[in-house]
Amino acid sequence: MTFDVTILAPHVPFLLKGALLTAEACALALAGSLVIGLIVAALRTSSSVILSRAAFIYVDLFRNIPFIVQLFFFFYGLPEIGIYIDAFTTGVIALSIAGGAFSSDVIRSGILAIDTGILEAAEVSGLSRSVIFRKIVMPIALRTSIRPLGSVFINLVLTSSILSTITLNELTGSAKIVASDTFRPFEVYAVLLIVYASLTYLVSLAIGALHRHLNRDRMPEVA
Amino acid sequence: MMRYTSFTSYDFILLAQGLGVSLALFLATTLIGLFVGTMWAIIRFYRVPVLTQFITFFAELLKNSPVLVQLFLVFFGLPALAKINITPVEAAVITLSGNTAAFIYVIAVSAIESIGRDQIESARVFGLSRWQVLRHVIAPQAVAFAIGPLTGLLVNQLQVTSLISVIGVVDLTKIGNILNLRTLKPFIVWTVVGGLYYVTAKLIAYGGARLEQRLRAHTAWKGL
Repeated sequence: MTFDVTILAPHVPFLLKGALLTAEACALALAGSLVIGLIVAALRTSSSVILSRAAFIYVDLFRNIPFIVQLFFFFYGLPEIGIYIDAFTTGVIALSIAGGAFSSDVIRSGILAIDTGILEAAEVSGLSRSVIFRKIVMPIALRTSIRPLGSVFINLVLTSSILSTITLNELTGSAKIVASDTFRPFEVYAVLLIVYASLTYLVSLAIGALHRHLNRDRMPEVA
Repeated sequence: MMRYTSFTSYDFILLAQGLGVSLALFLATTLIGLFVGTMWAIIRFYRVPVLTQFITFFAELLKNSPVLVQLFLVFFGLPALAKINITPVEAAVITLSGNTAAFIYVIAVSAIESIGRDQIESARVFGLSRWQVLRHVIAPQAVAFAIGPLTGLLVNQLQVTSLISVIGVVDLTKIGNILNLRTLKPFIVWTVVGGLYYVTAKLIAYGGARLEQRLRAHTAWKGL
């Protein structure tokens, strides 16, 4: 058999629909994991021993258990306790929870890297703790951790391919259908591999630009 | 009518078997990946033209695409293209080894680069060949440098092995699937499976930390 990519041309619209679903899931999961990551990072750096301990256990568990096991836990487990949601929502929830564990680690080190002088100055100025966190800690921590957050997001995009195992026809799921329709699995998956690699490359370029933009005033000392 | 829905003591054996398959594939692909990835880094160290650029590109491709797609390409794609038979286990070994090699290559390259140019240059001035420099100057220090990131990578690669259940290898995750479908008790099944992965990951991390301590012992301050 020869290598012929043109065989895929009629299936491009179908694959694009799958890619769109992947993009939607990743965008929602990115938002979800950022929210979870911020809350968990705040808990882990809080002065309460119980809260930081609980946050640590969450991060430790979800970082050390394979995503596919977590996904099956939610996909098969939730209906058992009477929660019926579709595969897409389950996938986004599972991705957000797993991504939240990774991004909380990144945000936490961003928080710990903040100069304590800034925080002391804010306290002395009489700002409340929630204002200090929302207006000072969060912007600085997020700004400095854009790059590592970017790699978490790229991993999220790659991990989203696992959602195809719970009957969700995102990019990889659609490709599986095209591969069995055309009997040309090599062409399909080779193209898919290149597509994912180019996608994550574009994302990493965008993150680099965002990082430079957000940290433009600190460029001399960073470089 | 007899119903086989409850847990039996035989399920422990099934779980142990699944864990054994996961561990065996993890160990085998780690060793192959270590060897191949280190080879790639050495090729780069010798600045072999064309090959170095090709390896860098190939490693980037492997690092930046989903392992699931790589598995499908090897398991479904290669047999169709080359008219050969590939079993699920073979596909798993090829894919996981390649993926591990790509990440080990990156770690090995930065470990080699972590050693100051002055050391390499003075060793060369003393008349050591490029191989002797690699063997006696770079390798011992690079291994100590690499063991930390390597431990993190291996903990991650253990989790990646769970994906081979999708192409039909009966590993720990596949056993979880089988028990899940039979007993219809997803919470118990996936908690046990997740727990087994968790404990294994912790053991790997612990082993890595111990090894790092030993390899770095010579740099620690012993006191006067």
